Amino acid sequence: MSSPLRRAVTWRALAVFALLALLPLAPWMSPYYLLLAFDALLFGAVAMSLDLLMGYTGLVSFGHAAFFGLGAYATAVLLERGVRSLWLCLAFAVVVVGLYALVVAYFATARRGIYFALLTLVFAEVVYTFFRYTQTFGGSDGIQGLPSPELAPGVVLDTPLRHYYVILAYLGLAWVALRVLVQSHFGRVLVAIRENEDRARFLGYNVQRYKLAACVISALLTGLGGALYPGRSAYATPDLMLWTVSGEFIIMVMIGGLGTLAGPVLGGVFFIVLHEKVSSYVDWYFLVVGVVLVLIVLFMPRGLFGLRRALVLRPRQLARPGRVPA
Amino acid sequence: MEYLTAVLAPQLLHGLVFGAALGLLALGLTVIFGLLGVMNFAHGELYMLGAYVGLAVIGLTGSFWLALLLAPLAVALLGALTEVATLRPLYRRPPLYGLILTFGLALVFREGVRQVWGGDMRRILPPITGSTPLLGMTYPTYRLFLLAVSCALLLLLWLFFTRTRAGILVRAAVQDAEMLDGLGVNVPRLFTLAFAGSAALAALAGLLLAPVFTVYPQMGVEMILLAFMVVILGGMGSLGGSVVAAFVIGIAQSLLTLWLNPQRVAIAIFGLMILVLIVRPRGFFGREGVLE
Repeated sequence: MSSPLRRAVTWRALAVFALLALLPLAPWMSPYYLLLAFDALLFGAVAMSLDLLMGYTGLVSFGHAAFFGLGAYATAVLLERGVRSLWLCLAFAVVVVGLYALVVAYFATARRGIYFALLTLVFAEVVYTFFRYTQTFGGSDGIQGLPSPELAPGVVLDTPLRHYYVILAYLGLAWVALRVLVQSHFGRVLVAIRENEDRARFLGYNVQRYKLAACVISALLTGLGGALYPGRSAYATPDLMLWTVSGEFIIMVMIGGLGTLAGPVLGGVFFIVLHEKVSSYVDWYFLVVGVVLVLIVLFMPRGLFGLRRALVLRPRQLARPGRVPA
Repeated sequence: MEYLTAVLAPQLLHGLVFGAALGLLALGLTVIFGLLGVMNFAHGELYMLGAYVGLAVIGLTGSFWLALLLAPLAVALLGALTEVATLRPLYRRPPLYGLILTFGLALVFREGVRQVWGGDMRRILPPITGSTPLLGMTYPTYRLFLLAVSCALLLLLWLFFTRTRAGILVRAAVQDAEMLDGLGVNVPRLFTLAFAGSAALAALAGLLLAPVFTVYPQMGVEMILLAFMVVILGGMGSLGGSVVAAFVIGIAQSLLTLWLNPQRVAIAIFGLMILVLIVRPRGFFGREGVLE
């Protein structure tokens, strides 16, 4: 193991990962729970990718649903046309999402704060409108009834168990990549930009280039998550790209805890599991989500992950919201 | 000539009517942005609440006019309470927390309404029926009334912001709230009142437009993006700019639908917004350097 990698991957994280890998062995595990776990981990990973922008760089993107949706459509279009290899789908998603992300990031990172949020939002709305009305991609119905992708010729991803392990691998790799990234010099500069953009610029850093890189990396990881989605759902619809979905990603990050990586994963899992469990009994789930979000912004800006810190760390270290612990 | 009176003129008038109502919605949004630095995602829900509270009042009393009076008051009260309870504690934090908070508030209002009134589409009947002959065409009288009321309100607001002490204080707070605070003005109270006023305007727009459109919990989500566009185009924090931009967007949208399909219209308007954000982020009339 090289040194940055060793520094990034803690024993505790490995233990959690091992537990997740053993989860399907639990006696109460059914295909239903496996698919729920798939969704939870997938959106956890997406929220974690968004955290690179929100928590570390201080940029709030209201357009991440477009990256996710484009990834999903990339896979869907190939599967529909008979290309079954998951790797080709992922590669295609990287190209599509990457190109789109470069354009969005190029323009959006030239602006700060609310302008960045609005630019990402409007770009995403353009993509949404395009897919919503283009009949080649199924219009508002999207692309439905897709076959399962293949991991290798003959190894079809057609069981919940296989889906689960694919998503676990994705989460693990994305987590390692982001951990290495935020602990590197690059990550430190991102935090510097968040804390004081002008000062970072005066220190000689090409601030826009760093923001652009953070944006594209975050978008690519989100797009990869999107590309894995149709394998399980067998569809890609324009509703995946609605700006309110981007809002849900933001909620996951906030619930989990800004700038912690592991927090947003927790937030995503919490959001999905609660949604599944609560909405099967009552229909006021989103009312609860709204109230939770408001309360978290007001009283717990560090999110669920901050609770753990509140128990472990001294209160003084909790004084400033949104900070990354050294 | 036939084309002019049968197609072009009505569409232009639609645009004017819609633009005027959009102006009411965007004015509140731009004032709040100027004061708090927060794009209020819940503004669309205040608009929606105006229609629903109006629906309730009409259900109880049968009078649209009473609803037009009571709904904005009720929503203003809700706005004031919301501001004091949730936005005020966030003044000292980066504005992005406010942005995320209002997204949560929007969710609470929208889902709250769905719980109380259900998710069905509802209609409010126009209080004025019939149509009026105008320039060789006939046009629904209610829409003409809507246009007149909206324009009168915009005029009143202009007088309020230029001629009254309260209006001038609001504009001063947009310029420099800290200085105003130093001069002894109760700025937090000013913010609360401004938020209440902005909520009342949104509610008024919601109820006025309700007989033209339909009433449903998602109606605010559909309007808010358009209102954002108006605010950006007009220059964030610029009052006059918002009104001009509202008419531009309203008319552009209704005229473009004559020649383009809805997809292209939406993309054209989004494209315009992207262009403005990139090339001239302060919009038509915004001051230079506001959060750029």
